Amino acid sequence: MVKLTVNGKEVEVPGGTTILHAAAAAGFSIPTFCYNPRMDPAGSCRICAVELEDTKRTVMGCITQVSEGMKVLTESSKVHEARKTNLELLLLHHPLDCPVCDCGGECPLQNMSFSYGGSDSRFESHRNDEPEDMKSEVLVFNSNRCILCGKCVRICDEIQDVHAIGFINRGFDTVIGPPLGKKLDCEFCGDCMEVCPTGAITDRFVRYQFRPWQMERTETTCTSCSSGCRMVVDTENEAIVRISSKEGLGPNEGSICVVGRFGYSAVQSKSRLEIPHVKKAQRLVPTSWEEILPEISSRLSKIASTGPGRVAGLISSQLPLEDAFVFQRFMRQTLQSNFLDSEARQGLMNMAIPLVSATGSLRPLVDHEDILKADLIVVLGADPAVESNITGLAIKKAVRKNKAALYLVHGRDVSLSTRAREVIRLAPGYEAVFLRTLREILSSSAEDLSTEVKSRLERWGANPEAVLRLAKDMKSAKKTIFVTGRRFHRSNTGFEASSELIRLLAERNLLASDGSGLFVLPESGNDLGVLMMGGSSEWLPGLLDTKNSEQRSVWENHWNCKLPAGGGGLREIISGIESGEIRALISLGVDPLVFLPDTAHLKKILSKLELIVVADMFQGPLADMAHYLLPSASPFERSGHVVSAEGFVQPLAAAMAPWGNALTEGELVLRLATHMNQPLPFDNLAAVSSEIFRIFPDLRPSTRNAPYFQGKTGEILLATPRQQPPHKAERESVLSRVPAFLKQESLPLDEPKMGDPSKRGEDTFVLTLSKSINHAGTQTILDSNLMTIEGEGLLRVPRQWARKKKLKKGACVSVSTPHGRISLPIDPVAGMADGEVHFPFHFADARFMALFPGSFSFNAHSGAQSGQTIDVTVAPIV
Amino acid sequence: MLKKFLDTILFTEIGQGLKLTLRHMFMKKVTSQYPREKLVLADGYRGFIAHRRYDDGVERCVGCDLCEAICPAKAIRVVSDIHPEVPDRRYAREYTLDFTRCIFCGFCVVACPVNALSMTKEFAHSSFTRNGLIYSKEQMLALGDRAGADSDAYLKVRNMWEAESSGKDEGHYHFPPISLGG
Repeated sequence: MVKLTVNGKEVEVPGGTTILHAAAAAGFSIPTFCYNPRMDPAGSCRICAVELEDTKRTVMGCITQVSEGMKVLTESSKVHEARKTNLELLLLHHPLDCPVCDCGGECPLQNMSFSYGGSDSRFESHRNDEPEDMKSEVLVFNSNRCILCGKCVRICDEIQDVHAIGFINRGFDTVIGPPLGKKLDCEFCGDCMEVCPTGAITDRFVRYQFRPWQMERTETTCTSCSSGCRMVVDTENEAIVRISSKEGLGPNEGSICVVGRFGYSAVQSKSRLEIPHVKKAQRLVPTSWEEILPEISSRLSKIASTGPGRVAGLISSQLPLEDAFVFQRFMRQTLQSNFLDSEARQGLMNMAIPLVSATGSLRPLVDHEDILKADLIVVLGADPAVESNITGLAIKKAVRKNKAALYLVHGRDVSLSTRAREVIRLAPGYEAVFLRTLREILSSSAEDLSTEVKSRLERWGANPEAVLRLAKDMKSAKKTIFVTGRRFHRSNTGFEASSELIRLLAERNLLASDGSGLFVLPESGNDLGVLMMGGSSEWLPGLLDTKNSEQRSVWENHWNCKLPAGGGGLREIISGIESGEIRALISLGVDPLVFLPDTAHLKKILSKLELIVVADMFQGPLADMAHYLLPSASPFERSGHVVSAEGFVQPLAAAMAPWGNALTEGELVLRLATHMNQPLPFDNLAAVSSEIFRIFPDLRPSTRNAPYFQGKTGEILLATPRQQPPHKAERESVLSRVPAFLKQESLPLDEPKMGDPSKRGEDTFVLTLSKSINHAGTQTILDSNLMTIEGEGLLRVPRQWARKKKLKKGACVSVSTPHGRISLPIDPVAGMADGEVHFPFHFADARFMALFPGSFSFNAHSGAQSGQTIDVTVAPIV
Repeated sequence: MLKKFLDTILFTEIGQGLKLTLRHMFMKKVTSQYPREKLVLADGYRGFIAHRRYDDGVERCVGCDLCEAICPAKAIRVVSDIHPEVPDRRYAREYTLDFTRCIFCGFCVVACPVNALSMTKEFAHSSFTRNGLIYSKEQMLALGDRAGADSDAYLKVRNMWEAESSGKDEGHYHFPPISLGG
């Protein structure tokens, strides 16, 4: 520890601390331009000058380390003189066009000139008049306003690890931009714009359309993916102008991805539903809530009165805890039906069921902070930078800063591949057999692989050397973290693979040792929360088993009613509708006609229903079949709480009034229950929140902010830690359940038939549906901003294949299976395995579902949808 | 003592007063027959606010919202956007000034960085509805065209002409050209 005085106040800080942080600890702020607490200091702007009393010299606060007995003055006349001169020099060529600059009003350079600058300049100089770079549709680079602090370049290098922009030229001619004067081509996270202390980088979507002082700022949580990013929604007159963030805010510490930052235009587009509709004579006719709520509830009570299990419910995984809690209680208590499912059934359920039976919790064992400390990170069937951007950033940082070993088990190169020690290519569906083989290798003491194992691995497309290296690293690593994602969960053998993975973790003692474990990446903003609240047929709130009468009686006593025991998920719902047992369907934002193949067959089944009630933001295929189509509120129009992949329970805040007559799903359910004369004991959703927090104290809000925030002139502000419940699963309770899980017999495994790498021809591929970084879910194709960035679904094919066929980007190919044939434009991508092509699933209008067989297939153990990959033949269209 | 006594008995003070009265009987009359006759107003008169143009006819307003920010009566509303014809230019897509609320303080003219606003000598605008006094940008531009000389004179007398006459181009915002090509 080092003792020093700042402005006469004594403070003790650890050695190696910079003056800037020591002053923050003492409660004094020093302005900065180029400093960002998340990045290494650069010392390029010279504005954080402080005076040392002993030597009478000014030094830079952000790069000078403290020493014993140092006497620092942060606001002396010498310091002010230095800052004033610096500002004079920074403004030497600045165009001073604040009135037309989008940064005006929230500009640190403006604030600083106001606080420290002079009213006149001693230097006669020309004003810069370089052309603005408007080649990119997303960001505008104005080099005239730039003060060359380099923050944008550094955040792109150090935090995002994308390296899209850099310094071009030297001296006075230096400009910031993409290399070689090309069009900006990056992940469009917009972090460079966020950190820019001037208006040198601005947002083109809302160029010249706003002034910061006119906007209301609401802090809320993004629900596009499971990262749980905290962001700031800026609204004017109940309309979203832009989405920004705040340095240090939330687990994302101020970074947000392209979908979070720019994906706000769909929710205020003309395609949003405004008023409830009722089907009359095969047409949806506008009506009012007062008219249809009694109608729906009387029809529901009539159907429910014929017996239990007559109504099925589907709930979206983007809805907050409150809505999920109310909906499942309405389904189970009021409608006496356990035919209930959430979007997690599309994949995550494969992981959730074994995870809950092994650990008793859906909360993760590790969080991003543990990832940063890990020695070995194994990413299984996931593309973290795309699926959960902030997890991707954590992994990139762990590799770069902590030299963690990264292994990637995936069929193709993802953005993390270049950082990986080894990329183990694995055809889809082979995860379970691969993990069992890995268990075998780890349990044997032999140095090398047996020839049988080698040939097996080679048959699956995996490199045996890489697998052996992974096994060796696993044996020596102290902290190992496995990350699983979309591809792993959605695999045909997802359930078996997940069970194998948990066995592997338990055998290697990774569930017990602190800092090691499993990090699951769910797909939606509140996948975990909806399951915790009983949004699936397996579990009641608190993950109590619905099949177990003892656990069921806990809630039966609490709610003072009888709860149904049977029921089931999506598979049982579809067969129930087909057999006529289920007569009504309530869908809160879930459209099975979008994600299940063979819509014609499914439509025929759904047409047997007497009543379909759909609450959604947009009209979709299921909405067209609905008897009642109800407008629902977007995540920006509701309050509630969502659970992130890290286990944080973070609030949503309503930034704007509900669109048209839209209602939140929770409110809708409460009103329906009241009309059915069986009201739920909640006046509003806030009462539901307090009920949830009372029953589950560990679900009270929790979050993590960076240790430092930044103020209006770039000064460092110490974040105050506050008391909050733990967000990770408790190791003790996990360990107490694992032995019982291990005693269960391990599942029999067969090698998958499909996508066999050894039987492939030149033009046969396995088609997988992947997530694109620029979209989330199937509704972002209605978002004009995101469609500007990526407006067309391109089939990603291996570059080597495209070269051989002489195909360029955008050329159309025909993709065919025995079941159907479509034509798609292609995008040749480097680093893909030979036998795989993938297509972003967001672009449902490409009708790729026609390629899949006309029957629904589900995982036998978890009921999760399977058959999401298929062998296809790709041929150029001539 | 004697002077005071004489002043008292000879009514000198009354005489002085009557002298002033008599002089005014022969002076020119000051009552003007408004509205038949118009007053001559000073150059700094704060009348209705007008929008100004550059000499080449381009409107000056860049839609910076500073007038809206400073207006103490919240009479101004600006909606800015990219100019539809010149893509790098910021302009006010909508600009409304509610003269029923305006208190004619002139702050907006001071705040304007491009001298797009000025006050004219017009004051007698009236309307049967409130809406009639909510002026759009077009109406204010027309007012500026009508009373161009008055608005220039206002800026001169209020010391806001300096930037324009100095030739330094400070009041004239020009926008850097954009490079759209790839």
